[in-house]
Amino acid sequence: MFGYYLDLAWRSLKRTPVLTGLMVLAIGLGIGASMTMLTVLHVMTDDPMPGRSAHLYTPHLDPLPRDYKLRDGSPDPTDDMTWPDAMALLKAHRGVRQAAMSGGSLLLRPARADLRPFYVSGRYATTDFFALFGVPFEQGSGWSAADDAAGAQVVVLSETLARKLFGTGKAVGQTVRLGEHDFRVIGVTADWAPKPVFYDDQTGTQYSDADLFFLPLSVAVDEKLQVSGNRSGWVHGDDTSLTSANMTWLQFWVQLDTPAQVAAYRQYLVDYSAQQKALGRFQRPPTNAKLYSLMSWLAHENLVPGDVDLQLWLALGFLFVCLLNIVALLLAKFLRRSGAISVRRALGARRRDIFVQLGIESALIGVAGGVLGLAIAQLGLWSIRQRPDDYAKLAQMDMSMLLGTLGLAVLASVLAGLLPAWRACRVPPALQLKGG
Amino acid sequence: MRTFRQIQPILAALRSHKTAVILLVLEIALTMAVLGNLVFIVYGTIQRSHVSTGVAESQIGLIQSITVIGEQSQGTTAGDLAALRNVPGVTHAAYGGPPLWYVERDPVFLDPSRQHPVAQMYEFQGSQDLSRTLGLHIVEGHDFSDDELPVLAKMSMSKDFQFPVLITRALADRLYPGGNALGRVLYDGNAASRVVGIVDHLRGEITGRPDDDYSMVYEYVVGAQNMGGGFMIRASDPARLPQVLHAAAAALQKADPAHVQNKLFTMPELRAKYFRSDLATGRMLLAIILILLVVTALGVSGLASFWVQQRRRQIGMRRALGATRGDILRYFQIENFLIVTGGVLLGALFAYALNLFLMHRFELAHLPANYLLAGAVALWLLGQLAVLGPALRAAAVPPVVATRSV
Repeated sequence: MFGYYLDLAWRSLKRTPVLTGLMVLAIGLGIGASMTMLTVLHVMTDDPMPGRSAHLYTPHLDPLPRDYKLRDGSPDPTDDMTWPDAMALLKAHRGVRQAAMSGGSLLLRPARADLRPFYVSGRYATTDFFALFGVPFEQGSGWSAADDAAGAQVVVLSETLARKLFGTGKAVGQTVRLGEHDFRVIGVTADWAPKPVFYDDQTGTQYSDADLFFLPLSVAVDEKLQVSGNRSGWVHGDDTSLTSANMTWLQFWVQLDTPAQVAAYRQYLVDYSAQQKALGRFQRPPTNAKLYSLMSWLAHENLVPGDVDLQLWLALGFLFVCLLNIVALLLAKFLRRSGAISVRRALGARRRDIFVQLGIESALIGVAGGVLGLAIAQLGLWSIRQRPDDYAKLAQMDMSMLLGTLGLAVLASVLAGLLPAWRACRVPPALQLKGG
Repeated sequence: MRTFRQIQPILAALRSHKTAVILLVLEIALTMAVLGNLVFIVYGTIQRSHVSTGVAESQIGLIQSITVIGEQSQGTTAGDLAALRNVPGVTHAAYGGPPLWYVERDPVFLDPSRQHPVAQMYEFQGSQDLSRTLGLHIVEGHDFSDDELPVLAKMSMSKDFQFPVLITRALADRLYPGGNALGRVLYDGNAASRVVGIVDHLRGEITGRPDDDYSMVYEYVVGAQNMGGGFMIRASDPARLPQVLHAAAAALQKADPAHVQNKLFTMPELRAKYFRSDLATGRMLLAIILILLVVTALGVSGLASFWVQQRRRQIGMRRALGATRGDILRYFQIENFLIVTGGVLLGALFAYALNLFLMHRFELAHLPANYLLAGAVALWLLGQLAVLGPALRAAAVPPVVATRSV
């Protein structure tokens, strides 16, 4: 039966090429616009570390005074961690792996005469950073816990920066002058840039940035290197040194492999907070301590800019208008065939048969509209890639979005066909014939 | 009168196509809602991109030095500024940054306890001559005089020192509603400031919010220190700004080779970059508006041509009974007008609802009523345009059709 209905649908559509063209165009435009924005949203909220993200968690403590009020538009200090808390969590070693980190920006003075000094942004971190996030190495390796403790002036470069400074030669063993200090290169990472840079705080451009160097956090603190990102203190006139207990600036990530470990870590955070409260340092309830998984942290931070959200809503509204249009056109098209339908009914076709037949016709329009929509969405994504925004370069369609486009188009057109098909299948048998 | 009498039978005919009519009215209403709000957003963006920052934008250029290398370097910031001022075509030069370029934003307080911030303000700071380099218009009080400026090298962080500052009219009105701001003392996070003058406008950023124009300016005397950062020049002739800026950069490099120059840009370039993303969004929304109109027109004309075909016999009958081609043409035009009117009325409601939602979620302003009126006119015209083809075809149906059976 399916083949026969398909044939009928094809003939019917061929008979009214203009009307069919209009419907395909309408669905193509609606689907194209919505899929463009859905794809942008999809790449922006995609898992930055597939396979690893399920085991990555970020703990958040609440060391704020009880009467602290968050000001409109200013960052929440509990998004980050203080130095003493981070060190305590690190020392407790309750996770499989854990690392504290912060962004930094340093002036690099190349030894090569043909390169002018320039600023590079990178990461100050503790030893586990590389194993925790599975950073691949091209040469050498990261530093050890002993390096952390000793404040060794060592650095790991990204492949991009290593190539810029040393060409294709061996970078490990060379020296790089960052800020006012010389650092010995001990490793070069292979291309590694999760999108978004989930472990950064919210001040960065999370979709276009990548860390170009990594060096021990202890060095950054000892030498007072420049830290980028929020530094939120809450005691007026307090010292603003990085080791202050009243200022948050660090990000902390921990690897937890089993639900039991997660539950234990959550309990540990509450216990730690309670202990700090007993010591008089924390004032708020210990249960304010939170443990976010990677994906829930991204949802919490909500990195999707407002205009992307707005455009998505508009695109969906636009799709809805297109669908209404198609409902009207299909209604016209189906009811025009009342004569033929009533003959089929008179010859024994059940209502269900008519319904399925017309449904297949709608689906066929959906398939054609989906193909057109795919082309339009590619055009839309291309135009987004030309934009200056931070996320623009990511706007690419993957396989799942490709299939999703076709699926959405067929679903939308079948939905649009429901009402017209229902109306048409209620045409009484043969009665129409008498009208003449 | 003739036209009016036709409405009754048209309404009666529409009643037998309820579903299709409702769909069409809904489509037009939604189009109107989306259209009104989109045009409003796009127009707002375009308008915003023309808002002035309040400085002499066409004359200002900036040289960014990311650092000064070499502790033994002989240059001084005062010397750098003198070198910049000596470049032909440069009227003023100052150490400091322009609007739209990483302007610091701080809470402002009225009392030293700093318990209740009144507002967030932009803080412009720089060397002597900053206000003249920016070309600020002082409308009350006076500009900085050199003898009242603090000297950077000796800047005492004593609690009672009060920086002389200029503030904008908007900030003055916010801090001291109805009162005179001149001579008053206000506080930011670190220091106390005394208002010596009021400028008409100085916007740190252009977001469209009223607090864009809450700004404070203070100057200090730079001398023997050697600093990296922003060096601004003001050229006498806007047309020659790019050349003058390049000459100034060369002069700075010659006077003080220790500077590592990073970027060189004029205010007009900065402005273009600042709005690039917003205008790109605007263009995209404009494309959506056009496509939306096309789709709606296609829908209207598709349904109309279906109705014409369906009613060929009736049209023939009316022609046979004496109706002119004009009557038939007008019938479809009036029918379309009625449907679009229904859509527009419902659409006005939808547009307001959508606007409320957008206001709630995206800080959009209230949709002015004239946008709805313009949207209604646009949709009436669009409807008439879309129906013209099918209506003309209907008018061309010969009376003889009435005598034929299907």
